[in-house]
Amino acid sequence: MNIALEKLIPLPMIELDTTGSVIWEAESFLFRQAESYLVEAPSGKGKTSLLSILYGLRTDYRGKFFFDNQPADSFSPRDWSETRKNAISFIFQGLELFGDLTARENIRLKNSITHHKTEAEINNMADRLEIGPFLDRKTRILSFGQKQRVAIIRALCQPFRFLLADECFSHIDRKNSHTAFYLIDEQCKKKGAGFILTTLNNMENLKLDHSINL
Amino acid sequence: MKYLFKILWEDTSRIHLLWAFIGTLAGFVLLLNGLQFYTNIKSILQANSDLLDPEYIVINKKVGIGQTLGFKGNGFSEEEIDEIANQPFAEQVAPFITNLFPVSAYTQSERFPNFYTDLFFEAIPNEFIDVKSENWKWEKGQDYIPIIMPREYLNLYNFGFAQSQSLPQIPKEVIGMVNFKIRLRGQNERPDYPGRIVGFSNRINSILVPHDFLEWANEKFGYKKEYAPSRVVLVTNDPTDPAIMQFIENKGYETIKERLKSSRLNIILKFIISFLVTIAMIIIGLAFLVFFLGLQLMISRSAEKIRKMDKMGFHYREISIPYILILLALLAGVTVLALISTGLLSNTFARMAAEWNLDINNSPEPLIYITAAGLVLLLFLVNAIAILLSTRKLTSH
Repeated sequence: MNIALEKLIPLPMIELDTTGSVIWEAESFLFRQAESYLVEAPSGKGKTSLLSILYGLRTDYRGKFFFDNQPADSFSPRDWSETRKNAISFIFQGLELFGDLTARENIRLKNSITHHKTEAEINNMADRLEIGPFLDRKTRILSFGQKQRVAIIRALCQPFRFLLADECFSHIDRKNSHTAFYLIDEQCKKKGAGFILTTLNNMENLKLDHSINL
Repeated sequence: MKYLFKILWEDTSRIHLLWAFIGTLAGFVLLLNGLQFYTNIKSILQANSDLLDPEYIVINKKVGIGQTLGFKGNGFSEEEIDEIANQPFAEQVAPFITNLFPVSAYTQSERFPNFYTDLFFEAIPNEFIDVKSENWKWEKGQDYIPIIMPREYLNLYNFGFAQSQSLPQIPKEVIGMVNFKIRLRGQNERPDYPGRIVGFSNRINSILVPHDFLEWANEKFGYKKEYAPSRVVLVTNDPTDPAIMQFIENKGYETIKERLKSSRLNIILKFIISFLVTIAMIIIGLAFLVFFLGLQLMISRSAEKIRKMDKMGFHYREISIPYILILLALLAGVTVLALISTGLLSNTFARMAAEWNLDINNSPEPLIYITAAGLVLLLFLVNAIAILLSTRKLTSH
C-alpha cells in the first residue's frame, strides 16, 4: 500500500509560510510502502497534522490523499476502524495510554483486537526496550520515557503496512532510542511495511531511507 | 472486551445506576401488580355476573309527568331500537309486544275464593326467556294459554298477600294446577281460554304469553291503536361493560340497576387501575430518565477514553458493547425481580381472596409477561440507540 498525497495541506497551514516544504508545497507526494521516511521540521510546521490526517483523525485539510487508489475522504467510520486495526499503526506524541491500566494491560488491549503478538513476543520486546520490570505497574506512575516505550510496543501489536511515529523517541535516551528504532525497523522489514517518523531535530544516527524537510 | 469493560467501568456513576435500577424496579412492580390485580378482579366480577344472569337487560324509558298527562308516548321508535341494536355491546335486541285488546282473568274454584282481575300480556321471542317448558307453545286451536309470571309475583302472593289474607301459600310446582280462565275481550268475540302458568321468570318482570299467541290474538281481536313498544330486552355478552350503563344513562333510559352493579364496580375499578397505571408510568418515566442520563453521564465521563479507543482502531459499536451489557444486566435484574415480586404479591392476594371465598387465578396472566417484555424492549432499544449515537458522536471523524 502506498500513500499518495495530492496538494494536501492542513487548513491552518494555508496562511503560514511554507516555502521549502517538500510536502505542503508539492503538487503530489508519494510515501511508498516498505520505505522509511524521516520527516524533520521545527515546531508548528505541521508534523503532527500530517500524521493525524493520514490516520483519519483530522479532516480540516485541503487536497486529497489516497491509500493506493482509494481516496481517504470516502472512508466510513468502519473503514477507518479497519484501517487502524490492520493497515496503519500510530505511535502518538501524546501516547494515548490508559493511566488506570498497567503497561501490560495497555498492550494487551491493543493486541486483543487482532491477537497479533503472543505474550512471549510482548515480553521479549519489553525486555529489549528495558521496560520488562515495569510492565505490571499502572501506566500512570511510569516516566514519560517508559510510557513512550510502552506506546511503541503497543503500536507493534497489530498488523500494519505503515507505521506512523510522532516524535516517539523524544524522551528516550540515545541507547534505548537506537534499540527501539531497530525493533521498529525490524518489524517493518518483516512486514514489508512503511515507516514515517517525525522529529524535531536531526537524528543522523538513525538510518532511514528518506529524509524530508517539512 | 475484558479491558474495554475495565476501562469504562472506572467512570461508571454507580449511585446513578443504582437509583435508576430502584426506580425502574418500583415502577415495574407497581405496573405489573396493577395489571395482575385488575385481571384478577375482573375475572371475579365476570364470574359473579354469570350468577346474576344479567346478560338479558330490560330497558324502558323513564316515566315523566309528560307520559302521565298523555302528552308524549313512552314507546321506543324503530330508530331508537335500531340505535340500541347497533351499539357494540348489543348482541340481540327485541321489543316487547303487548295486547291490543282488554284481557281479564278469573277463577272458578271450590278451593279458592272467586277472583277477577283485568290483565295485560306481553310477549318476546322465546330465545329471550329463561323458562324452559314443553307447555310453553302456541298452536292454533290449542285449548289453553301458557303464561309465564315473574317469580317476584309468586313471592308477593306467598309471603305478602296470602299470609295477610289467611289464604293458602302455593308452591310453584302446584301453581300449574290452579284453574283460572282468561277472557280475551275483542270487540265482537269474547272467548274464554283456560290459562296455565308454566313457569316463573327471574329475568323478565312481566306477564308473558307466547309470541305466536299474542300475534295471532292481536290480529284476531285487537282493535286498539298499536303502541310503540315500551320495553326492549337487550342481550349482551359482557354485562360488566361500562359502556352499557353509560349508554342507558345518556339516552335517559332505565333498567334495573342492581343487575348492572358489576358494571359500575368495573368503572370504579378501571378508574383506580388507570390511576395506578398512570402513577406507574410516571415512575417508570422518571426512572427511565435517570437510567438514560446515568448511561449518558458514564459515556461523557469516559469521552477521553472513548476517543483513545477510537484512535486504537476500536469501532464505536465495539466501544458501545460494555455500556449495552451494563444496560442489559440492569434491565434483566429489573425484569426478574419485578416478575418475582408480582408473583409473590399475587399469591398473597389469592390467599386473602380465598379466605373470602373468592376464587381467583394466582398465576401471572400472559398480559403481565407481554407488558413486561414490551416495556423492557422499549427501554432497551431507546437506551441502546442513545448509547450508539453518543459513542458515534464522540468518535466521529
